[in-house]
Amino acid sequence: MKLFILFTFTAVLLSCGNPSSESTTEGAGAEEKTVTLYTHRHYDVDKEIYAAFEKETGIEVNVVKAGADELIQKMEIEGDQSPADLLLTVDAGRLVRAHEKGLLQPITSDVVSGSIPAYLRAEDDSWVGLTKRARVIVYHPDRVDTSKLSTYEALVDPEWKGRILIRSSGNIYNQSLLASIVAHAGEDAAKTWAEGMVTNFARRPKGNDRDQVKAILAGEGDLAVINTYYLGLLRNATDEQSAKAGNAVKIFFPNQDGRGTHVNISGIGLAKYAPHAEAATRLIEYLASKPVQERFASINYEYPANPEAKISEELESWGSFKEDKLPLTKLGEMNRAAVMTFDVAGWE
Amino acid sequence: MAIPLLVVLLSLAKGTGETWAHLTRYFLLRYLGNSLVLVGGVGILSTILGVSAAWAVSRYAFPGRELVVKLLYLPLAIPTYIMAYAYVGFLGNGGTLVRIEEMIGLSPSGIDFMNLGGLIWVLALSLYPYVYASCRVAFSGLPASLRSASALLGASGLRYFFTVALPLATPAIVGGVFLVTMEVLNDYGAAKYYGINTFTTGIFRTWTALEDLRSATYLAALLILFVLVAVYLSRLARGRRSFVTQSVSGSECSARIVARGWRQWLVVGAVGTPLFFGLALPLGQLLWWVSGEPAWGISFSLAWVGLQSLLVAIAAAVACLVLALALVFLSRWNQLDVLRPISKLSVIGYAVPGAIIGIGTIGSSQLIVDFFADNYGWRIGYLFYGSSLVLLYAYAFRFLAVAYHPLEAHCLKLGKPLAEAAYLLGDGKLRALRNIELPLLVPAMVSALFLVFVDTLKELPLTLILKPYDLNTLSIAAYTYAEDEQLAKAAPPALLLILLVAIVLWSISFGKEAKR
Repeated sequence: MKLFILFTFTAVLLSCGNPSSESTTEGAGAEEKTVTLYTHRHYDVDKEIYAAFEKETGIEVNVVKAGADELIQKMEIEGDQSPADLLLTVDAGRLVRAHEKGLLQPITSDVVSGSIPAYLRAEDDSWVGLTKRARVIVYHPDRVDTSKLSTYEALVDPEWKGRILIRSSGNIYNQSLLASIVAHAGEDAAKTWAEGMVTNFARRPKGNDRDQVKAILAGEGDLAVINTYYLGLLRNATDEQSAKAGNAVKIFFPNQDGRGTHVNISGIGLAKYAPHAEAATRLIEYLASKPVQERFASINYEYPANPEAKISEELESWGSFKEDKLPLTKLGEMNRAAVMTFDVAGWE
Repeated sequence: MAIPLLVVLLSLAKGTGETWAHLTRYFLLRYLGNSLVLVGGVGILSTILGVSAAWAVSRYAFPGRELVVKLLYLPLAIPTYIMAYAYVGFLGNGGTLVRIEEMIGLSPSGIDFMNLGGLIWVLALSLYPYVYASCRVAFSGLPASLRSASALLGASGLRYFFTVALPLATPAIVGGVFLVTMEVLNDYGAAKYYGINTFTTGIFRTWTALEDLRSATYLAALLILFVLVAVYLSRLARGRRSFVTQSVSGSECSARIVARGWRQWLVVGAVGTPLFFGLALPLGQLLWWVSGEPAWGISFSLAWVGLQSLLVAIAAAVACLVLALALVFLSRWNQLDVLRPISKLSVIGYAVPGAIIGIGTIGSSQLIVDFFADNYGWRIGYLFYGSSLVLLYAYAFRFLAVAYHPLEAHCLKLGKPLAEAAYLLGDGKLRALRNIELPLLVPAMVSALFLVFVDTLKELPLTLILKPYDLNTLSIAAYTYAEDEQLAKAAPPALLLILLVAIVLWSISFGKEAKR
């Protein structure tokens, strides 16, 4: 029992970290040596980039990883004593929500506004996109006639009955896609589309994006709507069955003759009560810079938000495409309408 | 202890949110239905698995029994979402089964496992150890005299099991199934992956996608109500019956017998089924994933993460045990009637989705932070956000039920006579507790410690929200990779987690078992 108590104390002490250095370095004018990042991203490359930033600037990056919704809730409750400097999410919708709740402040940096195009930033620059992912159609070349593929809207044609694979409506990428349709065509059109998709489903929505591609290979359906970076990861997987599934399908960018393919971002916002706003801005500038963008985006097969950064070879091979340049703020504003539409349409 | 819960309940006063009409119209009933089927299915399946396995190892002797007794606990160490991924990785498209079929020349076809039945199977196999653990304690405490008496009266082994042993183990089974039910209600990752909408995924949908925290809190409160009813029913089922068994002098526990003929196969089935499907298959799949990952290995950083997890889990287990003991005895001594409703309230932490508790905990600790900021101008936020204190507090709140139930069940079996005898002989309450009751409770205490330990190791939502930044745990490491569909990278921390549980399992003695 004594051993247990000893353990208990050690555990508490160990994890107490170093609170004193945290609270005393906040004085005005003092050089900011830490920055606290709340993030929903959890890729190994992120960790390496933060370490490189620390080496270059001497600013330590404290990372809190959790779901974006929990992090926003946490920031909201913590209020003006929140230790968060930055919020990094994997979609625009959550950043817009954080902004609506008054949790963000404008990023004042010419470097950032100079390197990231305006449609990938908030109107008041309170958040910026760092990487882009497109939601595309992948199909089995033997079973799908490419000439029949055109737009997201065309997927509801009777032609595709029982052939479409897509994950559930709980997924944020599906919500954003539908939100973009709501923004472009209105709620009624979005509802008709969602209902048409449900009619054409090959199976009840389940699994993740990779599972949809594997299901194409297994013959459960002929085409799937997935995010680009999952295809990149599948094709380059060490596991040969995954690679086989990834290589069995071809990629199609929809809506090229119209508004363009739907894209979403992974983006970062500056916290309203950031104790280290200056250091935080430096980190954003670092993440938006060309060399970091190339690394940040390429390892995960994402498209860099900085147009000067080169895209990876794999993405290059997929060809260039026209993006839907709908201001991303719309995705956040329409997200709730999209979810309710999914419920009404019976898209599980 | 119940403050986070109160914070949640108080927010009910603000009324339902604006999407309430939408969600009652479109999905509430369907989600509720799924949850009920899930709870029922997992409850039945895990009872069958847990009780039969516990009976087989308590009653029968067979080679390797000691090893099997412990192995049967291990599926608990595999987080349910990892088990869910492992099953799809094995049976699904492009999975291990397909590979094997290709190798032996069969036409490759996966088995679709991502449905309600599959989810029931996965949850039951990773949760049955709760039933098994409490039944082991109950069965191993059955005095030999009962068995001999039954045999003298002409009861067959089967009849002894159904009419004597099983009824006596009822509180233990009910306690175990209660824990299983709570875990099922709390499951999020596995259900989400399989595309099954449950009440809990509904709470999250309302909160995160519909952006209506108030309605989500309402749903959580409904869940709490549901659990209260379940608690009440389980007490009703127990009624006024007594489960006290008195052991007469001599051998306390009947000797185990060697099974022959058809019984032998039953025993093999009872322990083999959970071991194969709950342990060997998912473990095999995890190892397969690890072997496919080039840069794997128990690296130093992984070991450090493991150590942190270990320390936090031990701290949480001890805290829960102490609190649970206090609750059991204080309410037993009856001097503090006030404690009865509180003891019921605080064990509900287990049923409330972890994320909701997390919010309640942040909310209540924020009250303290604000108090100091307003009155003294102290900025003590870092104390709460930079240390594990809040996290430990939340764990204790969340897992109190896990420690409380086995202890309470065991206490009921011990009954009061021993303590009463001690009082008659002039012992005070505390002395009787220390000298007589606690030593008798050791098996239940060990099992309570172990369950909380494992639960804390696996815990996700609370840890994610409340952990300080320099703390990292195995479950977080496994989850973050799995969520991003990088299963090969999720496997090493998951395996280390299982290994840790195994080491702890082998180093602790399960009370009576070891002494004999």
